[in-house]
Amino acid sequence: MDEVLRGRGTVPSELIRGELRLTARPLLIASVVLAMSYGVCMSVFALVRGAGSSDAWIQLLASTVKLPVLFLATFVVTLPSLYVFNVLMGAKLSPKALLRLIAAMGAVILAVLASFGPIVAFFSVSTTSYPFMIVLNVTACGIAGVLGLAFLLRTLGWLVSALDEPGMPEAEPDAVAVDRITTDTGSEQAGLEEETTGSAEGQALAPAEDGEPARDAFDADRAVDDAGAERDEIAALREADRRRAKLVFRVWVVIFSLVGAQMSWVLRPFIGHPGMPFTWFRNRESNFFLSVLRALGQLLGG
Amino acid sequence: MTAVIHNLLRDRPQRILLADTSLTRGSELISLVAVIAVFGFTYGIVMGAFGGLGPDRWLQITYSGLKTPLLLLATFALSVPPFFVLYTLIGLRDDFGEAVRALLATQAGLTIVLASLGPMMAVTYLSNRDYDTAVSANFVCFGAASLSAQYLLRRFYRPLIDRDRRHRPMLWAWLAIYGFVGIQMGWSLRPFIGAPGMSTRFLREDDWGNAYQALLNKLTGTLGL
Repeated sequence: MDEVLRGRGTVPSELIRGELRLTARPLLIASVVLAMSYGVCMSVFALVRGAGSSDAWIQLLASTVKLPVLFLATFVVTLPSLYVFNVLMGAKLSPKALLRLIAAMGAVILAVLASFGPIVAFFSVSTTSYPFMIVLNVTACGIAGVLGLAFLLRTLGWLVSALDEPGMPEAEPDAVAVDRITTDTGSEQAGLEEETTGSAEGQALAPAEDGEPARDAFDADRAVDDAGAERDEIAALREADRRRAKLVFRVWVVIFSLVGAQMSWVLRPFIGHPGMPFTWFRNRESNFFLSVLRALGQLLGG
Repeated sequence: MTAVIHNLLRDRPQRILLADTSLTRGSELISLVAVIAVFGFTYGIVMGAFGGLGPDRWLQITYSGLKTPLLLLATFALSVPPFFVLYTLIGLRDDFGEAVRALLATQAGLTIVLASLGPMMAVTYLSNRDYDTAVSANFVCFGAASLSAQYLLRRFYRPLIDRDRRHRPMLWAWLAIYGFVGIQMGWSLRPFIGAPGMSTRFLREDDWGNAYQALLNKLTGTLGL
């Protein structure tokens, strides 16, 4: 977990080879524990407001179980689309490596969220406002989500940049071709220079007296120009690829956030309304965003 | 502790921050916590003395004395975990100990300033028996101490920011988290002054509510919304 937070398991050199120096299982276990701890903190409100009734204790149990389920379910739902985008954009992480990457992102999100746990618990004890608790929890989840997704985007950004690196399947043939042209023309140039350095006086007159070396020099110049143009074109194409890939990943991040928000709506209640009896799940009405807006409205006295 | 106070007030942050001690050894940290406890308690007992020094007020005075350092230290303790995670995420974990030391030193400086304003607060209480005036005077004292703390914080954090500019946004993040928690903590731990007509209690458990909602209600009420 510490390695992930410090960013040591997702260094670019490892990613370029499509590998991650991480193991998914301990990360998943740590993430589940962290999610459970935040679930406990969330349900403190129900526990305090419900004065330790049996409903409040069941709410605590439900939140402790549902928080890990919320994150695992969101990852399961969004993982296939991330894999497809990853392949489409040329960042060829294997499903296993991608699973590790997602586990790392989940660990980051849940570490941040769990670090807010004591603050949420403190507000749960000291406030009576249910809408405030909704807004506070949504804000904590939002901050954790933004940091986790920033971590993912940074890592995927390294992957996309790695398209430039020699050794990547797409980049290799073109890069080698350009290198070959450059090397050939370079050696011709070197040869010419070697020939012409023989006589200092004849050096300036040589092209006029002998047509062959002059034509060779002209061809070499043209080859260098062609190679340069080709390289510029390749660089422009890659830049366009990079931009497109980053855009696609950003769109995916938005999809992930929406799925997470809606998943939390499906799995609610997490906090436990003080005036309502306990239920594991509520009716499928309204949506997450309307509910948050309503809570904000109530908080502002509307 | 005297040496710590001396270094805090004089321009010697390096004595506190750049000492070759780590968080685990922590003798400076204990000294800083002790400074917060002692000077916070000192200001607290003055703050709680609004109702006088009669035998029925001693409880309130003691409560206020205990709650002032509790307010600062509990807010600090709740704000540290997210700060730690943010520091690790941004890649500044190795500087975390030094940052905590700087923040704790700032809190210690704040309590020293508060305690130094204590006698003035006592004179204010003696010269004016109005509760609202007492609240306002304490507000001014806390404001002055907070401004001084800002000055100290900049001084203590300067070496960190000079070393790596990423410490600056981290400092803003700290202020945001600490301020957010601190306001609610202050609200939850009231009364600090103790209104004369009310019974002496450690907390107003039946009137906890929420500082931000109370503020919003007051604002909407004032604006007639």
